[in-house]
Amino acid sequence: MTTHNSAADPADAEATGEGGAEATGRGGPSLAARQTALVEALTAGRSVPEGIDGSAFEAARVALLRKRAGEVARQWPMLAAGFGNRWKREFATWAATRPTQGSLRDGWDMARSLVARGELPAVAAAELAEREAAWHYDGTTAPRSRRTPALSIKAGALAVQLGGRVHVLRRP
Amino acid sequence: MAETPSPVRTKTLPSYGVGIGWRPEIAGYVEGLPGLRFAEVVAESVHAHGDLPPGLQALLDRGVTVIPHGVRLSLGGAEPVDGDRVEHFAAVAERLNAPLVSEHIAFVRAGGVEAGHLLPLPRSREAVDAVVANVRRLGESVSVPIALEPIAALFDWPDDELTEAQFITEILDRSGAMLLLDIANVYANARNRGTDPLDLLDHVPLDRVAYVHVAGGAEHEGLYHDTHTDAVPQPVLDLVTELCDRHRPPALMLERDGDYPAAPELTAELDAIAKASGYPTVT
Repeated sequence: MTTHNSAADPADAEATGEGGAEATGRGGPSLAARQTALVEALTAGRSVPEGIDGSAFEAARVALLRKRAGEVARQWPMLAAGFGNRWKREFATWAATRPTQGSLRDGWDMARSLVARGELPAVAAAELAEREAAWHYDGTTAPRSRRTPALSIKAGALAVQLGGRVHVLRRP
Repeated sequence: MAETPSPVRTKTLPSYGVGIGWRPEIAGYVEGLPGLRFAEVVAESVHAHGDLPPGLQALLDRGVTVIPHGVRLSLGGAEPVDGDRVEHFAAVAERLNAPLVSEHIAFVRAGGVEAGHLLPLPRSREAVDAVVANVRRLGESVSVPIALEPIAALFDWPDDELTEAQFITEILDRSGAMLLLDIANVYANARNRGTDPLDLLDHVPLDRVAYVHVAGGAEHEGLYHDTHTDAVPQPVLDLVTELCDRHRPPALMLERDGDYPAAPELTAELDAIAKASGYPTVT
């Protein structure tokens, strides 16, 4: 049985020589397939790959979400503060099926989804409004600095950006 | 193994002794360490061009060796390492004038999705091939030795073909890389698997250790987590001594990544590493 190995371009096949041939000859899913299944289980709620201890994997999944929560809290301190000691749990619930896009975007996406549900903590409103005024973020690619003046109203906070300087004019 | 041998780029570092992972939050503390001769910085946190953070520049100015430590190259990924990431990593190494660089034996993304964490590889020959191929690709852009760090993992893949020591040794032999031994990872893995950490120390090439990570962790629901946010426990320091009794590495460093304690506690941790390894204190 041959398995697909996405690492094997012709140059690599030459470089890895017999080792590569042995590796793909052992049957079973390829390394690429195994890795993809593992990442999907970890970040998208898919089932744990066969043979991996479920409780150990779950401990790793939860630890990863808590680590992500800490990283997002550093980028979005007011968002995290708005939840107090519930922050890690709230973030973990939100992030359980959302692979990380980096802590800046993760916090941004979570804040926007909270606004949409009317649940953004008031203390976090100015932080979001400031960033929305300063940056253009389309939700799918890295945020870019705005080059033109902008005004943002989020959950009762109002921020304006003129010439790159952001002013919060109103807080909820 | 019928393959073109990798150019073995190892070198024996000067005995730097005890160092520390540079982080912006503790930059002032690190800058004030009088005996410091080496530090490590997360490569992805450094701009390849332009100014370095002030504290880091100050270390370089006084001759402290700073080693870039990559965390996002995903050298263990089945797919070839990303060219832009390699370019950045290589540029940072040049920017720091580093005598070597380091990364992990791990993968962090697959199928275009970021895991957000260092994930363990199956200990298979196919995984060895993937790491070796990616270290070679990295070596085309980086002119200094590459040290590879085996990670701490809370779970293992089934059906391993190799023991951990065999897996590490084969990767080093075939890639020509050096070993960045994280003694806290050795402790964590042995504790969680119910194995003897000394067994690993006795079966990996300690003469290829470029430097050593020492970090803290904590037990949670029966598993030991390598958190880097807790104090270094005594058993990890005892392992440092066991390691140094076998083959003392040229450098060992404290790795702390959050919940930074007050300066006296960091000093106590650095001094404990010095005592456990027999190197002079740097504080």
